[in-house]
Amino acid sequence: MIAALVAPLWVAAEASACGTCSVGDPTLTVVGFEQPKANRVRTSAALRHRSDSIGETEVDRLTLSEQRMELAGAYSPTDRFSLSLMMPLVHRLITEVNLAEASIWAPGDLDFRMRGVIWRDRKFAPQHLVSLIGGLEFPTSSIEYDQDGVPLPLEFQAGTGSWDPIVGASYTMFSDPWSVYVSSIAIFPTKGIADTQASKSFRQTVLGQYQPWKFLAFQLGAEFRIDGPGYIAGVRDPNTGGHITYGTLGIIGLPHEKIMVHATAALPIVQRLDGTHREGFAFTAGLVYEI
Amino acid sequence: MRSSLLMAIALLSVVSLPHCMRVTDGIEVDVAYQPKATPAQIRTDMEYRVALERALIVLGKVELIRCDNFVVDLWELIAPARARAHLGDTPTSLGVPLVIDLMESVGTPQFAGTMKPPPGRYCGIRVLGMPADPDAVGLGDENLDMMQHSVLITGHVVDTTSGEDTRLIARIWEVLDCEMLFDRPLVFDSPVLENVSIQIDHTKWFDGIDFALQDSDAVQQQITENVRSSLRAVLPNTKDEL
Repeated sequence: MIAALVAPLWVAAEASACGTCSVGDPTLTVVGFEQPKANRVRTSAALRHRSDSIGETEVDRLTLSEQRMELAGAYSPTDRFSLSLMMPLVHRLITEVNLAEASIWAPGDLDFRMRGVIWRDRKFAPQHLVSLIGGLEFPTSSIEYDQDGVPLPLEFQAGTGSWDPIVGASYTMFSDPWSVYVSSIAIFPTKGIADTQASKSFRQTVLGQYQPWKFLAFQLGAEFRIDGPGYIAGVRDPNTGGHITYGTLGIIGLPHEKIMVHATAALPIVQRLDGTHREGFAFTAGLVYEI
Repeated sequence: MRSSLLMAIALLSVVSLPHCMRVTDGIEVDVAYQPKATPAQIRTDMEYRVALERALIVLGKVELIRCDNFVVDLWELIAPARARAHLGDTPTSLGVPLVIDLMESVGTPQFAGTMKPPPGRYCGIRVLGMPADPDAVGLGDENLDMMQHSVLITGHVVDTTSGEDTRLIARIWEVLDCEMLFDRPLVFDSPVLENVSIQIDHTKWFDGIDFALQDSDAVQQQITENVRSSLRAVLPNTKDEL
């Protein structure tokens, strides 16, 4: 696993790549959304905050404040193929109704993805890209328990603790100063290390971007997620499943030709989650370094 | 090359981090029952002596009462108390019934459990006396009949003026709803450990009863009232007036 984690970065060290403009399109893209270009290497660090609550107010409510630091690297060995690895370190502050708190630092699940462009309208500076996505989440997280030895709700775990295959597809349109990114991803968790079975999940992202200047772009989008039920020790976690749609607003800047910064706010606009589960505001800020 | 190595080291560091958890206790209220020591004979206010053979009470749900929840409290006052199989604990209640054998009481507290209430002002506590359910704490072969009784008393009553000795049997089946106010509100706005002691003075259960004149129904009714009024919620710095 560690070898898998390091390999792309090691390969990247041997590669030579030019900056953002080398792909023939000036569009600012975060890691995972970019055009593959042979020997293109990007690394990134992102901080994510999200809040979540499960249970009835003043009865059994648990609230979660989660901060996630994600370190990622992406490498494109060819013009049509890219690999990425992302490792999260997760801090969770879980507060019970009586103000008891649990502060947990733990690694999340290592995420490995491959993206292959299966169709593009032209070789240099393509305007339309259709890609297939495949990947795997590694069980690098552990399942945490409360003071009574009961596993925390699946939604409050740092990861699923299981081998989770990922499949999906994406479409990207570049038409300076506009761009559109659409992706559909499905995650199929297997049985976890602590007899958990996280929810099967389908995620749809639609993102529009307007870039009035070379160094600055604005994003507006929506993220939809639908989850199946999750199980702990064969018993359904009642607060798993359902669907939620976030509206997102983001900004991307290019303070240096090799460094890109981005920030995105996400607000739930439609919540139909099962049980007594409510997700809150989420915020992401990050930095991408083009090697 | 250098940046990639740095990135690899950073990723490896994250992977190799052991998980670390720090837990801070929140608001907790320990509840204990404290029956008085049982004397060999109880002298009543009407000059009878009661020698107890069995004296048991089952205390079921214990619930903190909010100061500012008048509507709910009013509804609970109006609504008849219901005996239910215990539903488990909530942040403001304990649901596991406890069978207390008062004959074994030497005045030591009997721990009922810990409530974990949300922040707020709590003015009192409500206790339900009710028949035990099969998994009540303290229920055994010797007191299985407490599954049909909230309170069970057997013994003898001696009239100190005439010397007459009569058999005493009191069986209370009904649910006893005992609501007690604290002498000061419990105000919780930050994590704290508080203690509430529910004192039971069963030496007063036979006061106000003229055993020679009252029939058994009237005696039982008076004992029921006395049981209700014999419970008192005491906070740690409250002077014990029993």
